[in-house]
Amino acid sequence: MLLDIFDPKAPPKPIGIDLGTTHSVVAFVRDAHPFAITTCDGGPLLPSVVHYGGHGEVIVGRAAQSYIEREPERTIASAKRFMGRGAADAQTRELGTYRFAEPSNEEESRLIRFDLGDGTRTPVEVSAEILRSLKQSATEQLRAVGGAVITVPAYFDDAQRQATRDAARLAGIEVLRLLNEPTAAALAYGLESRQNGTFAIYDLGGGTFDITILHLDDGVFQVKSTGGDSALGGDDMDRAIAARLLTAMGFEDPTAAPKSVVGLVLSMARDAKHRLSELTELTLELPRNGGGDVRVRLTRDEFDAWISPLLERTGRAVRRALRDAQREPSELDGVILVGGATRVPRVRSYVAELFGKPPLANIDPDLVVAYGAALQADLLGRDSVEALLLDVLPLSLGIETMGGAVDRILPRNTTIPVGAKATFTTYADNQTGFELHVVQGERELARDCRSLARFTLKGIPPLPAGQARLEVSFHVDENSLLQVHARELTTGLEQRVEVKPSYGLTDEQVEEMLIDALDHGEEDFEQRRLAEARVEASRVLLATRKALSADADLLAAGERAEIERCIEQLQHAIEPGGANASRIGALTQALDDATHAFAGKRMDRAFSAALAGRDVGALATSVQHARGVEAHLEEHEERRQ
Amino acid sequence: MSNPFEILGLAPAFALDAAELEQRQRELNRAVHPDRHAGKGAAERRHSLSRAMDINQAYRVLRDPASRAEALFELVGIHGLAERMVTDPALLGEMLEQRERLDEVRRNKDRPGLRELEQNMTARQQQVEEALGQAFAPLIELARARDPRATRGPELDAAQRLFSELKYVRRFREEVAAIEDEL
Repeated sequence: MLLDIFDPKAPPKPIGIDLGTTHSVVAFVRDAHPFAITTCDGGPLLPSVVHYGGHGEVIVGRAAQSYIEREPERTIASAKRFMGRGAADAQTRELGTYRFAEPSNEEESRLIRFDLGDGTRTPVEVSAEILRSLKQSATEQLRAVGGAVITVPAYFDDAQRQATRDAARLAGIEVLRLLNEPTAAALAYGLESRQNGTFAIYDLGGGTFDITILHLDDGVFQVKSTGGDSALGGDDMDRAIAARLLTAMGFEDPTAAPKSVVGLVLSMARDAKHRLSELTELTLELPRNGGGDVRVRLTRDEFDAWISPLLERTGRAVRRALRDAQREPSELDGVILVGGATRVPRVRSYVAELFGKPPLANIDPDLVVAYGAALQADLLGRDSVEALLLDVLPLSLGIETMGGAVDRILPRNTTIPVGAKATFTTYADNQTGFELHVVQGERELARDCRSLARFTLKGIPPLPAGQARLEVSFHVDENSLLQVHARELTTGLEQRVEVKPSYGLTDEQVEEMLIDALDHGEEDFEQRRLAEARVEASRVLLATRKALSADADLLAAGERAEIERCIEQLQHAIEPGGANASRIGALTQALDDATHAFAGKRMDRAFSAALAGRDVGALATSVQHARGVEAHLEEHEERRQ
Repeated sequence: MSNPFEILGLAPAFALDAAELEQRQRELNRAVHPDRHAGKGAAERRHSLSRAMDINQAYRVLRDPASRAEALFELVGIHGLAERMVTDPALLGEMLEQRERLDEVRRNKDRPGLRELEQNMTARQQQVEEALGQAFAPLIELARARDPRATRGPELDAAQRLFSELKYVRRFREEVAAIEDEL
């Protein structure tokens, strides 16, 4: 191992975090290779378990795990399963050790709360504790930790993603990107093997299943399709075993057994699952309900039969993903296994049958996702040219139309970032408002999809039905964040809405939690804002100076002087004793405005360079064709001048 | 937005090479994708984002044969296509027949039957797409020569009839896919 020399001027190191259902991992990149960081448990895997002690102390990891049997209600495992989910969610009725708080009002019912006895915690807060512990371990090893790429199941919807972002915010982590887990795994494999081709990533984790079909071509990782089930994983296998054990122990209704017994049996079931990967049968000795012992024999054949319905569910998702990618199983160059549950022999043989080829698992399936996240964090930190990830929308985005149907504006598996437009019209005479309901999901009816936002465009002039026309544009950026923009075409009336998927916690509530979590509340919060503003300003200053020296020829007369003036002001503001966070923000914005035109020209140059030498002939003809037939080319003309 | 062919630097045509289209999208993203400009100033990141959005939208439109056809109709000057859809009664009859067969397959949970239907329809779609490629070629020529027959002539009728057939075939395949998920 290389000797770590502490360099106080070294830039903060970006990290990758796999925030898993059963365990979590943090990794970083050194000399182009990913390494997992030793967590507070002494190894790379930190069990995703949080124990809340009676005196306000919080314990994370293996130490917390030991409380599952003793104090099951105060010990939260698998919080990820509940991220962004409401109190009525089916997940709350499954076999588990937690107690859920009864929601006291409608607002509370939108977010699950764990009842600890003397208080409640949301899954977001529980996840934040895990992230905080990981960041702590990373800081101990790397000294200065930068932003993080955090992985999420590809099939997470926007509410689940937003909940993950908020957890990171609570833990004081800057999120560089939420990266889909299978894509992260593919990145780790692809950067290692440098092999081009089309791959399937079969990711069966503790609580989620994802399938991704991805094409790798000279460093461009292009996701062709993704699918899965955000409530299916190794935990379900444990529960399948545990339910049988509880029945054998004399609990007619396994879900009615005492929480401490459930905790014990679940951990015995997990252990039995692991041992059945090696053995073909085993015998367990269990306490009988009402006294005495009972011996239970488990065979691998039985276990394989119990998990068969779970595997069938993964098979359906796989077939759909292949269809969306327009690929046959025989066209794949390899199948990559990710997630601890893929260690189960029956899972491996099932995958081999499904794809007609043996799967690959040369990188530790427990670490590969964190490795990929660290690699992506490293790439983003350097504006690297070696690799680029082109990811897709996991779920379709649409608008509810009259009668409750969904009009899909952006179908699932569209490459992001992307924009799209659709035109709607009024259904009643003299209608002066449009109510827009933005939904996410594949179902035909809006009420079966996830509701993302509702807003109303008012002030439309009264016209006969069908006369007013409303143009709705969707923009999804590289972080999968959606913006919706509505415009009434006859009047030009506009409204722009940032769609922040809400899952029960408002921005203000998260901010409050954040202030509570800091020792000195507001004061620290201000300090943090100032530090963040300075970092952002330095980054912009550096980038602008680089751009000026690279493409000075693109500057118009007077433009350079204005940019230089903004640079000087901002530079002055970020020096010690300079301006406060808001002022720095305003000056950063001013520099940004001054470079707007210059930046556009630089992008044009990059764009032309990409087309140049490839097929200039085709471009020229296309322009000619287009000119002959359509008048909507002014925009292009402007760009050329 | 300008037309998707122009954005990707491709000559307008229905018969596109899928591999070339993919390659073009990859190369352009390699140049302008926001991740390649993550460390730059906000202005540059904004421009990069808007370019990448256009490229990926153009790719989405051209990758799907139905939306590619719609983009070509727009390009030759046919707007509001839906109102002018022409459906061949023979096609309608055939589709009704196929739909009955699909219902039967679904009732009997007949997987091999379903696969056969899917294969037939996939082959059918390929035929229609080939024919559309041939139908669009002269139409694009006419439009380029500013010939009014581009927007009202037998060439346009032929393309529209095929387009309507393509939509039927695709809708049918979507239903097949939904049943496949269900079985």
